[in-house]
Amino acid sequence: MSSKFKVQGSKLIFALLLLTAHCSLLTVSAQLSPPSQQNQNGQAGTFLIRNARIVTVSGAPVETGSLLIQNGRIAAVGANVNAPAGAETIDGSGLMVFPGMIDAATNMGLMEIPLGAPGTDDDAEVGDMNPNARAIVGVNPHLTHIPVTRVNGTTTVLTMPQGGIVSGQAAIINLVGSTQGEMAVNPAFALVIDFPRVAGGFGGGFGGGFGGQTPNFEEAIRTRDQRLTDLRRMLKDAEAYGKAHDAYAQNKTLPRPKTDLRLAALVPFVRGEKPVIMIANREIDIRNAVRFADDNKLKMILMGGNDAWRAADLLKQRNVPVIITGIWSLPAREDDAYDVLFENASKLQRAGVRFAVASGDEGANARDLPYQAGMTAAFGLTPDEALKSVTLYPAQILGIADRMGSLEVGKVANVVVADGDILDPRTHIRHLFINGRKMPLNTKHTELFDQFKDRKLPASQ
Amino acid sequence: MKKILSLFLIVLFVSAPLSAQQRNTAANANEILIRNATVLTAARGRLEGTDILIRAGKIAQIGKNLRAGANAQTIDATGKFVTPGIVDAHSHAAVDGSVNETSYSVTSMTRVHDVINPNDINLYRALAGGVTVLNVLHGSANSIGGQNATIKIKWKRPAQDFLIPDAPPGIKFALGENPKRSHSNLQPGQTRRYPATRMGVEETIRDAFIRARDYKAEWDEFREKSKRDKNLTAPRRDIELEPLVEILEGRRLVHSHGYRSDEFLMLLNLADEFGFKVKTLQHGLEAYKIAPEIARHGAAASIFVDNWGYKIEAFDAIPYNAAILYRNGVSVSINSDSNERHRRLNLEAAKTMKYGDVPEEEALKMITLNPATQLGIGNRTGSIEVGKDADIVIWTAHPFSPYARVERTMIEGETFFDREQDVQNRAALAAERQTLERDEANRPSTSPRATQPAVPRERVKADLDDADDIDGGNHK
Amino acid sequence: MKINLSRFFAVFASAVLLLSSLFYQQVSAQSSANAPRAFAITNARIVTTSGADIERGTIIVRDGLIVAVGAGNLQVPVDVRVIDANGLTVYPGIIDASASTGIPAPRPTQQAGGGGQNIAQFLQQQQQAQQQAQAQSNSTYPAGLLPEIAAADLIRTSDSSIETARNSGFTTVLVVPRERIFQGQSALINLSGETAGEAIVRAPVALHLTFVPLQVGQFPTSLMGSFAAVRQMFLDAQQLQEAQRNYEKNPRGTRRPDSNKSLEALFPYLSRQTPGQAPIVFQANTEREIGRVLNFAREFNLKAIIAGGAESGRFAEQLKAQDIPVLLSLNFPRRTSSTSPEADPESMSVLRARAEAPKTAARLAAAGVRFAFQSGGMANYTDFWANAGRAVQAGLARPAAIRAMTLGSAEIFGVADRMGSIEPGKIANLTVVRGDIFDRARTVTHVFVDGRMYEIPAAAPTTTGGGGANAAAAQAIAGKWNLTIQLGGQTVQATVTLTTQRNQLAGQFESTLGAAPISQGEISAEGFRFVVKLNVGEQVDAVFAGRITGENQMTGTVTAPQGTTSFTGTKTP
Repeated sequence: MSSKFKVQGSKLIFALLLLTAHCSLLTVSAQLSPPSQQNQNGQAGTFLIRNARIVTVSGAPVETGSLLIQNGRIAAVGANVNAPAGAETIDGSGLMVFPGMIDAATNMGLMEIPLGAPGTDDDAEVGDMNPNARAIVGVNPHLTHIPVTRVNGTTTVLTMPQGGIVSGQAAIINLVGSTQGEMAVNPAFALVIDFPRVAGGFGGGFGGGFGGQTPNFEEAIRTRDQRLTDLRRMLKDAEAYGKAHDAYAQNKTLPRPKTDLRLAALVPFVRGEKPVIMIANREIDIRNAVRFADDNKLKMILMGGNDAWRAADLLKQRNVPVIITGIWSLPAREDDAYDVLFENASKLQRAGVRFAVASGDEGANARDLPYQAGMTAAFGLTPDEALKSVTLYPAQILGIADRMGSLEVGKVANVVVADGDILDPRTHIRHLFINGRKMPLNTKHTELFDQFKDRKLPASQ
Repeated sequence: MKKILSLFLIVLFVSAPLSAQQRNTAANANEILIRNATVLTAARGRLEGTDILIRAGKIAQIGKNLRAGANAQTIDATGKFVTPGIVDAHSHAAVDGSVNETSYSVTSMTRVHDVINPNDINLYRALAGGVTVLNVLHGSANSIGGQNATIKIKWKRPAQDFLIPDAPPGIKFALGENPKRSHSNLQPGQTRRYPATRMGVEETIRDAFIRARDYKAEWDEFREKSKRDKNLTAPRRDIELEPLVEILEGRRLVHSHGYRSDEFLMLLNLADEFGFKVKTLQHGLEAYKIAPEIARHGAAASIFVDNWGYKIEAFDAIPYNAAILYRNGVSVSINSDSNERHRRLNLEAAKTMKYGDVPEEEALKMITLNPATQLGIGNRTGSIEVGKDADIVIWTAHPFSPYARVERTMIEGETFFDREQDVQNRAALAAERQTLERDEANRPSTSPRATQPAVPRERVKADLDDADDIDGGNHK
Repeated sequence: MKINLSRFFAVFASAVLLLSSLFYQQVSAQSSANAPRAFAITNARIVTTSGADIERGTIIVRDGLIVAVGAGNLQVPVDVRVIDANGLTVYPGIIDASASTGIPAPRPTQQAGGGGQNIAQFLQQQQQAQQQAQAQSNSTYPAGLLPEIAAADLIRTSDSSIETARNSGFTTVLVVPRERIFQGQSALINLSGETAGEAIVRAPVALHLTFVPLQVGQFPTSLMGSFAAVRQMFLDAQQLQEAQRNYEKNPRGTRRPDSNKSLEALFPYLSRQTPGQAPIVFQANTEREIGRVLNFAREFNLKAIIAGGAESGRFAEQLKAQDIPVLLSLNFPRRTSSTSPEADPESMSVLRARAEAPKTAARLAAAGVRFAFQSGGMANYTDFWANAGRAVQAGLARPAAIRAMTLGSAEIFGVADRMGSIEPGKIANLTVVRGDIFDRARTVTHVFVDGRMYEIPAAAPTTTGGGGANAAAAQAIAGKWNLTIQLGGQTVQATVTLTTQRNQLAGQFESTLGAAPISQGEISAEGFRFVVKLNVGEQVDAVFAGRITGENQMTGTVTAPQGTTSFTGTKTP
């Protein structure tokens, strides 16, 4: 993609991509693709789910009601909805209907097998500054993780590059489609910055012997400061770059500015037109990140946020939303309360900070998102709030609440029909709709299950 | 004089364990009555509105409207759920030093119970998730690893009190890419350790058992000969081979790490060849592919419920593994192998109801009675039955609900985790910290010779499975 | 994770260099060899430890022994040199119950500082060192599993550590070799004499054992492996002992058992059929370490002594009942790091351990456990006295504290019949002190070792390792510096003008953040540190800590309540 394209602003790109996404969806369904292929992309149509408990999330649940899916959208929700001609009716007796869950932090599609198969890993580019690395380009639509995740009720994810300081641009995708374009909800939603910090990772080392060989404190401070300086310089350069290109576009007699892919990619972010996701976990880093975003006029979303509850005052004051990814992390300090991360969400909620719960998973275990959210309700959130933390709240933070996150007429029909509470690990998903398409519930796992479930010892043995 | 001395010695050596025991009995002498709970027994179904009477650390009675002595402590569990304590059949918590003795591929001479760290904070966090028993295993860097320790998490007690005295001894084996050291980074100047293939792993184990067989024969001969000749010198005792002899004699449980179905079949065949049984297949990601063979051998499976895909060998792991094994009559336990996951094994077990429709009580057994049985302690813990140890968890809701929280975890009638107390203690701990920080020895140094503070850690290792370097090699 | 150990090795190597530089210090306060060795110490306060203190008395020393002790008007022989100890207190010679005094520290095998050393080179060196150790002992066991290693063979009386210890008031040390796992067999030496033979009071005293693994790709690499390796060696030693005995009874017709130097070295420590079983000193500090080694000792019926013993107070009753003594380390843990809001607070377990350490001695004393103080590898011997004082503050009776560094130690090492108290006939080991022995202000004025008098120079170094600030460092730092301070991705320029006087640092700081004089400025070998009071909306103390990194270059950190940032500086010519 040319840099010029980006400078023109995100809205146009978005509209274009959305358009192509819709076109290609239509073409795919019109074509006669091989059955399995068609199967994995679901089946378009008009569907009426009847006699079910409709958990709209945005409003009160409809205890016994219907939900109509038509033209990819939710066409009607209520106690009495008539089936249009040609609608496939689904008996929802004893079932519950939920909006598809949204996982606001994954590397979905970018990495299939972390160990021993580097050819499947496209999550981290070389170098520290990769604002032009776009997750949407690396997403493999045919990765096993995608069906495995959606059959547990997650229909939309934020997928992002990782590593370095500026990791790249995160995309919002629906978990269906044969091409990246078909999957894209917002192909370039936000810039991901792994906010420079002093804290080390896991440590580790050689044979346990020299384990924990971390840089010393002074060195860590210096490295952090250097990285901050590099980051700030690059943002300032991008600001100047945008200004020069705009000026030149207005007045061709000016000296023609040079083209730079990285700086061009940064322009909408340094102008505050598009959000910047800052990953930070410790209180001091969170506060530093908020200050840094203020100084550089970035539209910040905090991701990670293990200590966010400790900085709730500032996050509330600056209206910085938090994508919590550490519900199932271990407390970093020996003396932390055992439930410090389980309670993070409820403390933020009480403090009035906007938040969402996300898996933070590379992909394989992103299907655990509902249970992570559920656990926050064992530690202070109400179950309703816990459900919102993986539906409406992430939709709001990701700027797609007009289309997703609740069961409302006109929204994209990402709909999950289950035999119980969607946050409960015992619950079975019975029907799944993404973009209004009725999705198959088979995955690599169900296929292996089918292959081996009835296997017997060979007669000769 | 000699008599007095020996009496004195007896007193000496007995006094320490005795005092611990006395403490126990003192704490447990009073009866405890848990009233009006929904009891998930993991043996005899679900009992509504039921009381449990605990006496001297054991479950004395289960029933409705039980009566306890005047001094009994009563716990009102109205609206609460009660389950047996959770048993995690694969853990590396509480190990001091490296979990792997990586030097040799056979390290059966090492014993986890030599190096238990009772102060590992992860133990407390496990208690807070309802876990009472851990099978603490050696890592998986070795074809035949070290001896395990089966412990109860008696938090704040000395390590010695953690060991379950009558738990049968066990040992870790490992198959596939970890003992091959596929993922370990060879340092320059280091030579690659044998074995480097699955073929070599089989030969390493076979060789060890052949040596063990010879060793046993040598000792048998000696015992025979020394009946006639009292002056014979006993053969050398070999603590590498002794545990293997115990395996051959059926006195030590084999817990074998592995992933692929072919490597497990290799071990089962090898065990048949040497005439011993493999007790558990640990992880067993592809166990479902050979469930009938596992059932035929009589091995049990201790698995992740749905962890998969973190490396090539885990790519065929499916969450239906438990259901397929269960339907084939294989004893299944769901383990954590992780200081993170052991805090929520209840939810892991619940997933077996989703993936393959395992019945509720069977799912609960997978984290209670089944692992207890796999560790040879099913006679004393793992279910709520009269006569068993009062290892009991009280939950705010059904333990398979994500909204459930542990209120209290008891071991042998003694409370080792109490949510209410934990929350109450937080203020006291903060105050204690303030006092401690004022102590001269704790004040930060202001001298120019001061060392630098430690670089803080943002994250701590959670997964101990071989997706990282604790149970396997070194990875990125 | 990428491993770069070059920095680690650079630091390590420079520490070793500093140690070895002490080698060449030859500050001798000893009289010439033929000077008469007969003294009368008069008008002294005498703490005998064996009997009552003598408020004003005399001690007569002749030919290495105490010949008389008495109050008041003890007859002073006409031929002795009289030392008027008015205002001084004489104690029995102070014993350090564990140190590696007199055993030269390993020297770096290559010049450090280039940062070129990598893992491979390190491993190679380790292997070479192990092969050397093996070759020396002709054992089949690797370095670390050689119980035959004996301090008596390794002691070099020329090693400067002997003088440092003596200058600090010690007369006697239980010298332990520097190996790990089997550290080797210790020797009790007096800190005097031309040869090791002259210095040694008793050797071997005990076998010393830690379970710290080898960690260089050789079994055992883990703690549990260490236990296994040691356990197997004890079993093998038992078996070899039995085989050799059986063979001696009837050598004809049977193959003789192999000789094995390492296993045979364990024979005196085995319980079975060994008269006068020798003790094994187990290094163990935490409750769980102590529990482990007590179990291990019980498993093989060994005669145990605990060394370190930080949490041994928790085992006081058991230790008393089993008569297991403790060589208690006075190297109490103490926070040595500075503070920063960027760092995590220290864990409660660490804070508690530091606060609890001084209480152990009193607990042992209350239970009647025998214990002796050792220096425990401390960096500066002044901590020995100060920490003994802290133990006293925490409830240990003063006489018990004195005893734990004199007679109590002698009893544990089986030499109470010849040293440890001020009694006629005992070895003339005396430590003469001005002021309260537990006070930081006290000075050691004389030390008598084997009847030889050492007058202690006032400024005798007491550091066991590193050195102090030097003039070169002071010179390098003085001057005007341009500083670049990082602040959240932005930089702030500042200048600081520094002047030095000895180790003190003064000067003026100027920047856009404000100008202020610096305060609390100090220089040391490790670097410098000063405080600037800045007004940034509120008054904050900015603590600058750094070091000179090259000609006219400095680097360091600035810590304020808001966080820590880095700075670099260049000196303006």
